[in-house]
Amino acid sequence: MASADKLINTDVPEKDVFAFHFLQSLSNLRKQNPFDTPDQKNYRVRKIKKAAYVSMARAAGGSSRLWSRALLRRAAKDDNKIVRFSRRKRKVTWKISSKRRRSNQRAPVVEEAAERLRNLVPGGGGMETSKLMEETAHYIKCLSMQVKVMQCLVDGLHYNKN
Amino acid sequence: MVFVINIVSSSTLTFTLFLSHSLSLQAICFLKKKKKKITMNEGAIGGDLLLNYTDMSVLERQRAHLKYLNPSFDSPLAGFFADSSMINGGEMDGYLATAGLNLPMIYGETTVEGDPRMSIPLETTLGTGNFRKRKFDTVTKDCNEKKKKMNREEVTEGEEEEKSKITELNNGSPKSIKKMKNKAKKEENNCSNDSSKVTKELEKTDYIHVRARRGQATDSHSIAERVRREKISERMKFLQDLVPGCDKFTGKAGMLDEIINYVQSLQRQIEFLSMKLAVVNPRPDFDMDDIFAKEVVSTPMTVVPSPEMVHSGYSHEMVNSGYSNEMVNSGYVHFNPMQQVDTSSDPLSCFNNNGQAPSMWDSDVQNLYGSLGV
Repeated sequence: MASADKLINTDVPEKDVFAFHFLQSLSNLRKQNPFDTPDQKNYRVRKIKKAAYVSMARAAGGSSRLWSRALLRRAAKDDNKIVRFSRRKRKVTWKISSKRRRSNQRAPVVEEAAERLRNLVPGGGGMETSKLMEETAHYIKCLSMQVKVMQCLVDGLHYNKN
Repeated sequence: MVFVINIVSSSTLTFTLFLSHSLSLQAICFLKKKKKKITMNEGAIGGDLLLNYTDMSVLERQRAHLKYLNPSFDSPLAGFFADSSMINGGEMDGYLATAGLNLPMIYGETTVEGDPRMSIPLETTLGTGNFRKRKFDTVTKDCNEKKKKMNREEVTEGEEEEKSKITELNNGSPKSIKKMKNKAKKEENNCSNDSSKVTKELEKTDYIHVRARRGQATDSHSIAERVRREKISERMKFLQDLVPGCDKFTGKAGMLDEIINYVQSLQRQIEFLSMKLAVVNPRPDFDMDDIFAKEVVSTPMTVVPSPEMVHSGYSHEMVNSGYSNEMVNSGYVHFNPMQQVDTSSDPLSCFNNNGQAPSMWDSDVQNLYGSLGV
């Protein structure tokens, strides 16, 4: 479906790319924290979640997507040792400010929903609505791929236990 | 000729009218965008100049229009004239390039036979600033589809015969724009016009030429606004295909809410699964090779014939089945039993002994799985 649409390109890599990145991040986690003590469960959960998002962003194309870039930048702020993210020179776009000024003329129905979407999708704050929707589509695909990978992993563990 | 000169003596378009004396050509409106200006080659009849589908539709419309007006006309010839006028028009910034004329058409009068296009002078767009709030017409969406091009052709010709309400504008009469707009009826299935962006570079200047729809506002802001709306609705359609269960909602708001819910649910699923993984992970006798084997089986790519993989023929597609809110709640229930089960699993480590490794696995990946089990 993505390849059929000439105008919007939302191709995501195959599942194994996501799996590879996720497992890589998990092994990195394991190396850092050799003792996974169950008392700090939340800490581990947060770490794994963050690893999941970062690996997803990497698998989805690193710097080639706005949302992945924003996600990686956000992650790199907290953990300077682990997540490496190099800044890319960006042209300053004045679009946002000028469009926000005239925002009352855009369809208010669409815009308030777009506002909520902006809070959800990483990097959405600097995007115009049409661009936001492209990014959302790609983000949804990557999210679902990541969920599949994690689900398979969990199921594999379950099976291994039983 | 004299007739023409009398009428246009006071106009600012004298020399353009001279150039386009014998043909009725279509008016073009220049829409200057901030940094992009892409000119359109209206006279490009040849197939090699058709760049995208909007080109095609504009050209086909032009051809049909010309044929209607002058049935004996040779279309290459028409193209030639259009070309010459276009070249001159391209140079002029801010003027109407070619005022489409029939000889009986009087400049400034409000009836032009057949040409369903309106032109916008550049100065008046900035001056009048006609910000009309437009209702969402779904017609635009339909019009922009490639498939309906041929229908459009017939509709165009049919409507040109019936109605003749389109006027021709110039720099000097902003009022006539409004008059004409009030006169022009909005039609439901008027697919004869759509605002199409044509992107052929004629003189390496980047103007995006947009055709105004019949019966709608023609200033540059509204057109840009309309184009933007169409972009948004196109993307919404794309999202609609992506998100399951979106076909119930037809309005933009409902669909967007649905999309937002879907994104939220996906994010919650990730969080839930990461919680599960956090609990499961730290077991020492944990054989990740086997885990990965199972995971790999459920991907469509692996066809590795190994014994432990046979009985793990999962194909888990349950994840994408809707919003599993209940998963989140039941996740907490699962945690306790999982923690207590700390028996040594039977590490089916036949995988390592299995001589056959799937070809798609790199050595790095295999090292990873080894390290994960440690």
